[in-house]
Amino acid sequence: MTEFKPTILAFCCNWCSYAGADLAGVSRLQMPTNVHVVRVMCSASVKPEYVMKAISQGIDGVLVLGCHIGDCHYMTGNHRTAKRIPVVQKILKDVGIDEKRVRLDWVSAAEGEKFQKVITEFVDEVAKLGPNPLREVAF
Amino acid sequence: MREEHGNVAPVMIAKGEDPGDVRTDVPYQLMTILSNLYPWMSDGKKIAVLTRRCDEKALAEIFKRGYFDRARIVQIGLACSKEQIAACRCSDPVPSTVDIGEPHAGVGSDALSEKLMNMSSEERLRFWIYQFRKCNKCFACTANCPVCFCDECVLEERTFVPERGVPPGMSFHLIRAYHLADKCIECGECERSCPAGIPLLTFRKLVAKDFRDMYKFSPGDDKNVSPLLTTLEGEALEGDECNEC
Amino acid sequence: MPRIGVFICHCGHNIASTVSVEEVAKFAATLPGVVIADHNLYSCSEEGLNSIRKSIEQNKLDRVVVAACTPRTHEPLFRSVCEQAGVNKYLFEFVNIREHCSWIHAKEPSSATEKAKRLVAMGVSKAALLEPQTEGESNVIPAALVIGGGLAGLRATASLAAQGIETHLIEKEPRLGGLLNDITTLAPYSESADTLLQELVDEVRGSKRAHIHLNSKLRGLTGFVGNFKATLDEAGKKKEIEIGAIIVATGANELQPEGEYGYGSVPGVVTQLEFERTLKRGEKPGDTVFIQCVGSRQPGREYCSRICCNTSLKNALKVLEAGGTATIIHRDIMSYGTVWEEMYRKASEKGVRFIRYTLNDIPHVRSHASGTAVDVFDETLGERIHLDANRVVLATPLISQKDSAEVGKLLKVPRDKHGFFLEAHVKLRPVEFATDGVFICGTARWPSSVRETLSQALGAAAKAAIPIKRGKVVIESITAWADPDKCAACGNCVASCPYEAIEILEQDGKRVAKVNETQCKGCGTCVAACPNDAMQQRGFTTRQLSAMIDSLVKHALEESP
Repeated sequence: MTEFKPTILAFCCNWCSYAGADLAGVSRLQMPTNVHVVRVMCSASVKPEYVMKAISQGIDGVLVLGCHIGDCHYMTGNHRTAKRIPVVQKILKDVGIDEKRVRLDWVSAAEGEKFQKVITEFVDEVAKLGPNPLREVAF
Repeated sequence: MREEHGNVAPVMIAKGEDPGDVRTDVPYQLMTILSNLYPWMSDGKKIAVLTRRCDEKALAEIFKRGYFDRARIVQIGLACSKEQIAACRCSDPVPSTVDIGEPHAGVGSDALSEKLMNMSSEERLRFWIYQFRKCNKCFACTANCPVCFCDECVLEERTFVPERGVPPGMSFHLIRAYHLADKCIECGECERSCPAGIPLLTFRKLVAKDFRDMYKFSPGDDKNVSPLLTTLEGEALEGDECNEC
Repeated sequence: MPRIGVFICHCGHNIASTVSVEEVAKFAATLPGVVIADHNLYSCSEEGLNSIRKSIEQNKLDRVVVAACTPRTHEPLFRSVCEQAGVNKYLFEFVNIREHCSWIHAKEPSSATEKAKRLVAMGVSKAALLEPQTEGESNVIPAALVIGGGLAGLRATASLAAQGIETHLIEKEPRLGGLLNDITTLAPYSESADTLLQELVDEVRGSKRAHIHLNSKLRGLTGFVGNFKATLDEAGKKKEIEIGAIIVATGANELQPEGEYGYGSVPGVVTQLEFERTLKRGEKPGDTVFIQCVGSRQPGREYCSRICCNTSLKNALKVLEAGGTATIIHRDIMSYGTVWEEMYRKASEKGVRFIRYTLNDIPHVRSHASGTAVDVFDETLGERIHLDANRVVLATPLISQKDSAEVGKLLKVPRDKHGFFLEAHVKLRPVEFATDGVFICGTARWPSSVRETLSQALGAAAKAAIPIKRGKVVIESITAWADPDKCAACGNCVASCPYEAIEILEQDGKRVAKVNETQCKGCGTCVAACPNDAMQQRGFTTRQLSAMIDSLVKHALEESP
């Protein structure tokens, strides 16, 4: 049996998390190959619809990364993200999908190491959950 | 409402008309109908409407968004019957003023919600997949919803609901649940109008409970802004400190 | 059907040693809409850019995807190539397969190649839906703000003012000059620090364009490049100024030891800056022992403060001149470059004693009948040595200012883990922040010498003058707009916008949301708040991002074994 490698989608804000991911790269911090970063201007532009859509289509985990609270390039953008994503998690839980498949975290432009840590931890956690049960479900 | 040809349907009565034999014992989502009629009732005159507690909350959500002129709406408070309260598993059935009917206490719980939350997540998922497979995407749930305000629904498009045919996948229901998270007033009209018998009110109640637990917010109160639209000022967040700086 | 060209960059070995660039290019050629997929050794080189330009023309491309490094540094370059070849620059999409792939998966070439393919597929699917945009322009307020009146801030202010730019210099202390006030002479040529400072202050004070605000702090900031509005607290009074560009020159501070090496308990133990002050007062130093790397290059504060070795060498020579003896207890002498190394040699020749210690056995400072004593294990001799001294100078590092977090938050600019500010790119944008119109110089960035600080200040002033002299800034077309057919005027966007840029207006008899595009900063918060997908952000439409998700699903889940 081959080891399960989850497929993960990550939204990173342009100003902090994407820069943090770049720093992780520049620092050659090694991490699993499962994560696919989509650049957005602010974590607050990540529509919950994207997360729902990705999970529904079988993506094993979705990461939403933004600036630390107080550091948002758009003042209070990430405040909205912090409000919305927990609702997404609860709805997933309510239909029986593990809410740990969606994670919200804050990574600053200086936190290459934190980016590596978040990616590695999340990949491990989702790998433990196993494949997204919706992958195999034909509606 | 009035009974005609064996069906009970909403009726509009103009000032001075004889109301005749009206019925108030059949649940009906009058606020949705009023929302559809409102743009055509441009004479500025007052509109009286039969209002249950859930309708009152729907009105609050409508007022908050500026869709109705508050001054034009006169509420005729209707207290729901015991049977109706039981059917809606309604915990908050008494309107602020009762003009018709006897007020009865609400019921505390929704048996199905409790059963579902006691299941393992695998079982719960199996339950919902079974239910959602029955969906034939008729949009009765959105069309009859008093707090669905869009003319055309985004779920009709394939941007977020990629399935070409019927049934739509999970995203259809998840996204609708998210859209309603801060405005569903638990009237149960979606469940009543669903031809496939999907227990949509139970799904709404599960999300509403989570939302209440998280944000101490229940829709249907026109004084409080949805937490999804406010910032975190003054709210404590855990684990948000940047350890690097 | 769009005509998409995909260009995969080897970046020399940086990408190609891990990711099979040829394989990715071959795969990209099979993606819908792709008419050409090529690879270049260095896409950003003259040759690479020319080949992309030629390919756009020859293949009549209308969408360009480059898979290379990060858009945060190279997007403008590739966008301009598109424009030169007649393709609207907003029809360009960047895929990051270096920072986000080859560099972080160095030991997994085959997985990294597969991931690069998926990233390219996602980029191509977004590119197919890109739309051309026209950019707006906004006027620039012809004034600048310099935060910090030390050496860096003074130099930058003098330079900006000399270029004819109204420049506001704010200094939180009641006097200008910062750390320079405490310093005697400057290494390596022993110029007087006072003279340098006085010349600079005279230049700034003598300029009609420079406006000095003492006892002042930045309290608030709004706006964007060309149009900032700063709120100052000037000696307790609130003041608002409008500026087009900002230079951060907030400097650094000397670390105060907390009892280490007898500081505060053993007489005669001082920090380097305190020692400078005694020299300035004309006190005779006597026999002096310098201990280097006190509180730096050790766990918790790993960095080298860069200036302390040279300062100790300079001051050791002064001690010798004054008739004392000088010993430098160090871990490594960092007298880099030409002039500093020359000073190190001179110090050795003139009799400054050098003793090397390690963190395992650090020097011990104690009181002694005749003054102060230092016991140190000389690593080179392998012997414990006893030194008598009149003074022990602790070379502590420069540390970030206590209020750098506050300044960082107000300006929305990042800091590193030690609290020093982080520029946009160490090599490509050394005095700029990622935020347009905000610049950095001097020791607020990292410990730097007077010469380095002066060069950085001039660099920052030159950079800050660019938008001001141009008089206009281009506004990137990433603003939001609302589709009136879909909008239900629910007001979620109005309530969510951090800039109050959206209002509900009546249009053709229907209430709809309308975005004021000059106020919109392109965060996309409203897009996520809109339940009906009426709100869209240019360059990040919901169809574009959904297509990326679909593409990932297709290539990772449906087509994987």
